[in-house]
Amino acid sequence: MILSEPGATLLELAHVSRVYGEQVKVYALRDVSLQIRAGDHMAIIGPSGSGKSTMLGLLGVLDRPTDGTVTVAGEDTGALPDDERSRLRGDTIGFVFQQFHLIPHLAAVDNVATALLYRGLSRSERRDRSMEALESVGLGARADHRPVQLSGGEQQRVAIARALVTRPLLVLADEPTGALDSKNAEMVMEIFAGLQSAERAVVLVTHDHNVAATANRVVSMRDGGIVSDVTQTPTPFRGPS
Amino acid sequence: MSRFRELIGIALAGIAARKVRTLLILLGPIVGVAAMVGAVGLTESAKGDLKARLAELGTSLITVEAASSFGSQNPTLPQNAVRRVSAIGSVDSAAAVGEIRNVVTLPNEGGAEYYQAFPVPVLSTDTALPAVLQVPLRSGRWISTADQRNRTKAAVVGAGLAEQYGVLPGEIRTIRLNGEDFGVVGVLERVALDANLDNAVFVTPYAAKEYLGADSTAPTKMYVRAAEGATQEVADAIPTAVALGGSKEVTTSIPSDALEASAQADKTLQQTALFAGLLALAVGGLGIANVMSISVIQRSSEIGIRRALGSTRLLIGLQFLFEALFVGLLGGLLGAVLGVGVVYLVSAIAGWVVVIDYAKMPIWIGLAVGVAVAAGLYPSIKAARLEPLETLRLG
Repeated sequence: MILSEPGATLLELAHVSRVYGEQVKVYALRDVSLQIRAGDHMAIIGPSGSGKSTMLGLLGVLDRPTDGTVTVAGEDTGALPDDERSRLRGDTIGFVFQQFHLIPHLAAVDNVATALLYRGLSRSERRDRSMEALESVGLGARADHRPVQLSGGEQQRVAIARALVTRPLLVLADEPTGALDSKNAEMVMEIFAGLQSAERAVVLVTHDHNVAATANRVVSMRDGGIVSDVTQTPTPFRGPS
Repeated sequence: MSRFRELIGIALAGIAARKVRTLLILLGPIVGVAAMVGAVGLTESAKGDLKARLAELGTSLITVEAASSFGSQNPTLPQNAVRRVSAIGSVDSAAAVGEIRNVVTLPNEGGAEYYQAFPVPVLSTDTALPAVLQVPLRSGRWISTADQRNRTKAAVVGAGLAEQYGVLPGEIRTIRLNGEDFGVVGVLERVALDANLDNAVFVTPYAAKEYLGADSTAPTKMYVRAAEGATQEVADAIPTAVALGGSKEVTTSIPSDALEASAQADKTLQQTALFAGLLALAVGGLGIANVMSISVIQRSSEIGIRRALGSTRLLIGLQFLFEALFVGLLGGLLGAVLGVGVVYLVSAIAGWVVVIDYAKMPIWIGLAVGVAVAAGLYPSIKAARLEPLETLRLG
């Protein structure tokens, strides 16, 4: 676990561009700079094709920029070999996806424990910490259920527990309520509201304005660039817009 | 080490999660190894009884017969042939028999017409014969020095003749040799290395000469037991030792040689079946490669999320390679068990003695593991090369 101070820069994009195509170059991101600090509860918002997904890939160290630098916890990720990027990703970032991406043959607790593999922890330590994380999202009693035995909302809560179990500096969520009904969406957003902490940052990538309203900082994107970056007073989630 | 254990756990969970798929890809290694274990086991077991008997009898017995040289119709060995041969350093023991010709042998007074149709060899013998042959008596006792000294009409019959004459164990009975009643004092167990003895009657040299009118008690055949490992050397030395510069010619043979040759498994059949097993294993390997390649595509989301959670390319590749390894190991083990089962079943039906070389099992199972790992290499590399961003479908 990497510790951070309140207000410290956890992740920084400096003049980042991401270009696809060899012959015909398409700019998915163009000269984007962004700092994510401890305590941020950020929403990245924009219409389809605005570059949100590309941004998410770069923030999550899942992709490399064509130009510019991505710095995570003080390390320039562009200079790191693939294995080191994997290690950094596992140590500092927790992911929550729209489609949950749980491993179907594993029980909820084992899905959460997947994030703790290859860290020198014993099986019982992995299980204890995973149970703790599941209990924090109200799913302690469903620990031994496989994804197919859980509702969509419960699956997303398992995914959130998996993202939190490593105690990451940054939680990256991609349309976390996109596949949920309004009741489950509210439950999940309630959990996200509770994640706000001075030591970590939460970034929600969404096209839902009601989701964005729960953040204290909103970054709006259009055509591969940031058009606004404003701080706001968060409001409680009012259901999917 | 803990990383290694974690990888094993993930691989085993992956195999256990998809039971039908796992069963399908297990078939290749199972059939391949079962075919190879079965091929070797069945071809060896078909000769298993001979092998077992050979192991029991040993390979150190030599038979010595007088050669029929020109002008000699009934060749014999020198009277003191046993003593001459015993002088050879590596000879453990020796015994001789002398065939008495033209003896009419009957189980009793009646049935002369029927039994005379089957000529029975009657042999004068010395007391050491069963010990040299390493064959026990089925019942009763062997001819003794007391029989010779007391001039008794004692006879021992071979196991085959005893069965033919209906001699019961412990029964007091006689057989008729040239019209003389001889008391049957024992029955010699079957002699695997010289089946002629199974149908023979054994009497003392005195009885041979005095009661059965033998011209001579000179031996016609000698059995020599050589020291372990010196059989051929002794067999080569015997003609000189017996002749001692005289005119007697002898032929020697090692009866276990023939048995040993016939106990050899049919190598061509074995190799053909082995080849078929290897082919099954290779086809099974293709099956593993095929199914695992599809599996990598189906499990791309799992691969993506594992990568997002910090797994390196190497760990992802190893996870799939370990799955292939366990498929090979499990398939190999099950195949070996199946192969052994088939050998036992067929041997039980055919009445064979089961011969299975368990020392070779690691080779067959190792082959299955090798093929499975080789087959899993491509899907593993494919899995390791998957980009998490491509598999997670963001946005």
